Amino acid sequence: MKKKIVFLIVMLVLVVGAYTGYKYLYKDHRNITKEVAVVETSAAQLQEQFQNNAAEVLVNKTLTVTGMVTQIEGKSITIDDKVHCSFKSEVQGIEVGDEVHLKGRCIGYDDLFEIVKLDQSTLINTE
Amino acid sequence: MKLTFFMAICLLASTIGSAQHKYGSKTGTINFEASVPSFEEVKAVNENVSAILNTDNGEFASLALVKGFRFKVALMEEHFNENYIESSQFPKAIFKGKLQDFDFSEVSENASEYILKGTITIHGVTEPFETSVQIKKVNDAIELQTAFELKPETFNIKIPKIVSNKIANEVFVKAIYSLSN
Repeated sequence: MKKKIVFLIVMLVLVVGAYTGYKYLYKDHRNITKEVAVVETSAAQLQEQFQNNAAEVLVNKTLTVTGMVTQIEGKSITIDDKVHCSFKSEVQGIEVGDEVHLKGRCIGYDDLFEIVKLDQSTLINTE
Repeated sequence: MKLTFFMAICLLASTIGSAQHKYGSKTGTINFEASVPSFEEVKAVNENVSAILNTDNGEFASLALVKGFRFKVALMEEHFNENYIESSQFPKAIFKGKLQDFDFSEVSENASEYILKGTITIHGVTEPFETSVQIKKVNDAIELQTAFELKPETFNIKIPKIVSNKIANEVFVKAIYSLSN
């Protein structure tokens, strides 16, 4: 009887350990769509903040940005020629000239094009 | 009046002229793999790499934001950023260089091979770099493709002993850009 209980406890510990271990190793990616944005800003403001080297705190954070679509290339759009946002799939239902409000993860500032880049973007609404 | 008009035309012509010789992309793709058979694959992709090619002289620059590399396993992505590449401290991977003997008029639908020479900066370390690239015209865009191998130790990236048998010594890198005017 005692042996049985010890065996059961050991099994339980092993199962729980294996499960938490697995959960740790294969935890889910961040879900940017569901995260609450740390900053709500405009494309112009965001770019200016990076150009003034005052935006390191925003890297890897979830932001919402507003602006006008100036370019669409496949899975990504550029707003106000200042912020480049990539989506998980082909961007549909918006055109150059549309005002957009979107959420994405800031990955940093691109000196070549002088733009801020976001990935994992999703549209909040289009007008 | 006539003179201002003439000057305006000249100015316009010169801006159009200079703008024509640069081809760029903000959505180049770089993927790298350092997998070892029978272990979890060590592989990431960045689909938001910027690049600019000056077609007059073959100068080429590319910038990848390191945080933009995505792994299948979230924990691996976290370790890559925090422990290996230290992306908060070194957020950018940059190549700057020149295509050797590049002549834009020779670029056609058939891929031709060029040598690209320059410097590559990763993890804050700048190293001379040379690779061969395939270039071809696809509609109005120029497609540039390359593949090469890099060693983490070259860039002062230390792989701890406990995981060193799960990560290849040579990291295989592939890059592809569709550069448009």
